[in-house]
Amino acid sequence: MKSTQYSEKVLDHFRNPRNVGTLEGDNVGWGEVGNPVCGDLMKMYIQVEDDKIADIKFQTFGCGSAIATSSMITEMAKGKTLDEALKITRQDVADELEGLPPIKMHCSNLAADALHEAINNYKTQKGETTLKVIRTTTGEEKEISGEKEFLGKGVYHAADDLSPFADKRVMVVDRGKRSLEIALELTKHTGRVVVMTPGKTFSSVDAGLAQNIKQSDIKIIYESELLEIRGSDELEKVLVHDLNEDEEYELFVDAVIILK
Amino acid sequence: MNSYIDDQSAKPVDPRVIEAMTPYFHERFGNPSSLHGEGDEATKVLEGCRRTIAGFMNAGLDEIIFTSGATESNNLALIGYALRNKGKGNHIIISEVEHISIHNIAKYLEKNEFTVSKLPVDQYGKVNLHKLESRITPETILISIGYASNEIGTIQPIAEIGQLAREKGIAFHSDTVAAEGLIPLDVVRDSIDLMTLSSNDIYGPQGVGVLYVRKGIRLNPLIIGGGQERGVRSGTENIAGIVGMSAAVEIMGREMAEEVKRLAGYRDKLIKHILDRIPKSHLNGHPTDRLANNAHFRFEAIEGESLLLSLKDEGVSAATGSACSSKTLEPSHTLISTGLLHEEAHGSLEFTFGRFNQEADVDRVIEILPPIVERLRKLSPLYKKEEVTT
Repeated sequence: MKSTQYSEKVLDHFRNPRNVGTLEGDNVGWGEVGNPVCGDLMKMYIQVEDDKIADIKFQTFGCGSAIATSSMITEMAKGKTLDEALKITRQDVADELEGLPPIKMHCSNLAADALHEAINNYKTQKGETTLKVIRTTTGEEKEISGEKEFLGKGVYHAADDLSPFADKRVMVVDRGKRSLEIALELTKHTGRVVVMTPGKTFSSVDAGLAQNIKQSDIKIIYESELLEIRGSDELEKVLVHDLNEDEEYELFVDAVIILK
Repeated sequence: MNSYIDDQSAKPVDPRVIEAMTPYFHERFGNPSSLHGEGDEATKVLEGCRRTIAGFMNAGLDEIIFTSGATESNNLALIGYALRNKGKGNHIIISEVEHISIHNIAKYLEKNEFTVSKLPVDQYGKVNLHKLESRITPETILISIGYASNEIGTIQPIAEIGQLAREKGIAFHSDTVAAEGLIPLDVVRDSIDLMTLSSNDIYGPQGVGVLYVRKGIRLNPLIIGGGQERGVRSGTENIAGIVGMSAAVEIMGREMAEEVKRLAGYRDKLIKHILDRIPKSHLNGHPTDRLANNAHFRFEAIEGESLLLSLKDEGVSAATGSACSSKTLEPSHTLISTGLLHEEAHGSLEFTFGRFNQEADVDRVIEILPPIVERLRKLSPLYKKEEVTT
């Protein structure tokens, strides 16, 4: 079965998704699930009244089945008690949609997980369960494998003259204000600037600079750290560690700036 | 009517080609190996086609091997050459942006005591000659770099690569499938030793291809049998198919110059309007050194399979490099090689124009794509409007 051979019901939910959006307020819980390597991302919001899901909204970045399963589960969960909603499984969602292509069962059928996260988030707020451990990100000056080996061969510890980076794919590791200023300046020299930061936001710099970065053409990789520099005689790619999902992947770049 | 703008995946056979082929299924069915009138005529037809096809790439008659298509030609070129020449060395160089068949053949050779270097490319998907030279070792026997990317359309500096390989005494293979019919091919100008061509990619029938093998280049056969094609590729010749490929080559030779202009016009119009009308959209591949038929975009915060489904609803057929649409759930290795993150490759959309497209197809995409992108972005948690409008 081809990945895009969907049932009419899947196509209906894809074409006319129900309950798109976000919710805010006191009785709102939310959950987010995703897969950084695959790229799908799903956000689910529930509003709870008398232990029942009174309203539910979602946002999804992903393929047809990712969108359809999100939409489907909002219809299935609405009006259910939290405990009933927690019992909805991935299989239930697939069944309700008259089946999914086998290849999509795992990668793009995360809606049940997102709903469960939202319910747990709501219960946590109400003190019914304990907080999940939140990963902390340190590793400021952590040793990066290959950093010394490729110094001057694609790895830079300083970047006062930006002309060598013209038209290159440059990664700037977030080392505070100066590194982000360099990243912004680099956008005048090349179309591809990637900033990698361990945090969810740029908390260490003033809001104005952070906003400028976000509005620029810079590609930001949040909650990630550099593990390794790879290449033959020059840097060719880097190994990135996604701290949030604890996954590793390679990214092709021409230069990496790690200010010292 | 449906707008099919995915020529790199498959092309319709030109009706003029079908007409040329038809007699060879029933009336003129001889086997070139037979010693009678029908056999003699088949030999004559086969050699006539060989002459036509050789002429189109500036090759000699005895340098053309008919195969079952581009995949077989790639197998014969890489595996056939590697096995025959392993006494000279065991190192092969390919690029990161090769067609999947080359990557998988390379994996097979790695399991069979060869080492393969994959040459990285720049952000446009182009190989760098200095980097290529630095990878060459005394063990290097073969370099295989495709003429142009079938996905992002970037054209490689083939003549320069060929010259470097020739100087170093290394055989050079190029898969030209993506460039066929869009760039005039010349094995002498480009110093090519082995070259893969497919019939369907110039609107001929499927199931026919050619491997150009320069005089003096020796290959181990992969298909053993009755010794056809100078023993390099056995099996009774597919005369009807070969006649079809030859007819396709003749049509292409007459029409290419005009056709390239027409397709480049479509390509440039589409690129301009899409990048102008859709915020946070980008062009993948090289801005100028790209195939005349190729427009490859990426749109932030949305996913390619969703785009294809939406386009299908509007009667447009295109392609994507998104993981979600692939059998392996891996994004396009070509897009990743240009330095994109998985989530960026996710949002890619490829249009490849061809002989049977009209300007109306371009206009249709320009009309329907912006609202499709907007709708999908409204569903996406990654798309923040304020970041775009300010």
